[in-house]
Amino acid sequence: MNQKGIIGIFTTDWQMSDAIKRLREKNIPVTDAVTPFPAHGIMKQLGKESRLPFFSLAAGTGTIILVFAFLYYIAVIDYPIIYGGKPFFAFPTFVIIIYMLTILLTFILTVLAFQARTGLFPGKEIDDPVHRAGDERYIGGMTDDRFMVALGGEEGLSGEMHESASTILRESGAKEILEIKRS
Amino acid sequence: MDTTSAGAPLIEGKMSYRQVTDTLSGTVERKPAKWWYAGMTLSTLAVLFGLWAMYTTVTVGLGTWGLNNSTAWGWDIINFVWWIGIGHAGTAFTIFLIVFRAKWAAAINRTAEAMTVFAVMCAGLFPLIHLGRLWLVFFIAPYPNTRGPLWVGYNSPLFWDVLAITTYLLLSVTLWYFGMIPDLATMRDRAKTKLSRTIYGFFSMGWIGSVRNWMRYEALTKILAGLAAPLVVSVHTIVSLNFAVSVIPGWHTTILPPYFFVGAIFSGFAMVLTIMILIRKAFPLTSFITMGHLNSISRVLIFGSMVIGLAYATELFIAWYSGVEYEMFTFFKSRATGRYATTFWIMVVCNAIIPQLLWFRKIRHSIGWLLAISIIINIGMWYERYVILISSLAQDFLPSSWVTFTPTIVDIGIYVGTFGIFFTGMLLFIRAIPMIAIFEVKDLAGEKREDHKPDEDKTEKT
Repeated sequence: MNQKGIIGIFTTDWQMSDAIKRLREKNIPVTDAVTPFPAHGIMKQLGKESRLPFFSLAAGTGTIILVFAFLYYIAVIDYPIIYGGKPFFAFPTFVIIIYMLTILLTFILTVLAFQARTGLFPGKEIDDPVHRAGDERYIGGMTDDRFMVALGGEEGLSGEMHESASTILRESGAKEILEIKRS
Repeated sequence: MDTTSAGAPLIEGKMSYRQVTDTLSGTVERKPAKWWYAGMTLSTLAVLFGLWAMYTTVTVGLGTWGLNNSTAWGWDIINFVWWIGIGHAGTAFTIFLIVFRAKWAAAINRTAEAMTVFAVMCAGLFPLIHLGRLWLVFFIAPYPNTRGPLWVGYNSPLFWDVLAITTYLLLSVTLWYFGMIPDLATMRDRAKTKLSRTIYGFFSMGWIGSVRNWMRYEALTKILAGLAAPLVVSVHTIVSLNFAVSVIPGWHTTILPPYFFVGAIFSGFAMVLTIMILIRKAFPLTSFITMGHLNSISRVLIFGSMVIGLAYATELFIAWYSGVEYEMFTFFKSRATGRYATTFWIMVVCNAIIPQLLWFRKIRHSIGWLLAISIIINIGMWYERYVILISSLAQDFLPSSWVTFTPTIVDIGIYVGTFGIFFTGMLLFIRAIPMIAIFEVKDLAGEKREDHKPDEDKTEKT
């Protein structure tokens, strides 16, 4: 089989957005898109809504319960001590600690979840379509002023699709079309 | 068109993406100017002075400070509150940018956050060293221990404060760092030497800007900013509770939390204005940090100044209205007309009166005036904390326990040292990291659909 994936390189986000719209109409699989800034039009077309907020909500709720239980354990069970005749379970003094620790633990858990989902961690190697295409000229463009859309992915595109994809990319204003070499 | 709140454009002139990248990373890539080395030398000297003072404090003891039985809190807590206040602006800008989507904050956000990080570090130093026995600081950690087993004083504002500052420092460092990952990736891809490529590569976490990661990234920054929003309000509120929960006249008032909070935002924005003016002078970034930006910050300052003025008046009014003789003494005798009258009136003039000049358009558009006013505000804010702390402590209920407070060279040394830490940090920051978020600005630049053959394009704008 001689199927190859291709990469279209654009200089504006809206041209790439148009291309993606037309590619989708032709059922050509769009594997990935790489942009130098969060281009919201393309994000809306390709991305799935992140579930991170739900994770944060769950983490926050869990933390509130845990911190409350911990404070209750300290104040009422483990070391009951009378401060100025107030009850052991004096909720108002708990509020600020619960508030602070909820923020602290929720943000730490959220960051960890983000790193787990994206696989980003300090020291990670770069892995992107352009490097895979092996074209030195465009490395670095994706964090500067180039918008790239990768089509076909691992399987590549069949001859017919390959042709129509190239046409669409060219018509929408792609500056260059690269072929992903397969190892 | 995207504009600042004052109506000026966010970027002056039309720029391509490449121009934005080149200009903004240029501040890092060029060799530093002479003033940078001069600044580094000065701030290193200040750090050394501070280190000496801290060494003296730790080895000799708190007796080297100007404290005494009545004024148990002196310059340490004044400076702590002052720095923490300055730190608030960075997070406030993050919230403007990410939560309220105020695009004008994009150009200022990262520098303001850097300011937050270094200011909070300076602030955090004071509670640590004023423990005296610094090495026992782990007592504050709640864990089952052999000291009783005793738990920490979880219903003490001092403990809340430790939690608040720690959380604030960690969260602002995280926001700052995650906010620059895409730009670190840009720097990695532009790096000329292997060393800088490795360092930027390590910290950029292999970022390439794939759309899926951008989605998650935006979700993450939104959540972090959302979590930081209540922190901005609560950190200085909790600092104020250190005072307001006590029974000392002049501290024991319910206006203290909002008063401290607005004071923090006020002094923080003043510091942002000072630093932005200096950066604008030192680097060719006038098309990104426009007069419109400075104008917007000065409008926030007018608002802050009026609220602060109102808070001062309210304090005086409540002292009179309460009819408590100690309150009357502290506010009207000690502060307004007595021993602390000079400091009190410096505070009022610097914070509530001079910033009113910003009502004039001419002054808002004069760099010299803005710089002067922004510095005057922070001097005033320092005096505010001085008045609150020293006047209340030095002249309390019993005239027999009245004292005067004079700072020693060690007090001064630590304060100067924190300036050293702050400016060393800021100078290193502007050398190593693009100080304006490149990817945020790119959103505002480049060729837009409306610039390009509008007649032929009928597809929906994205």
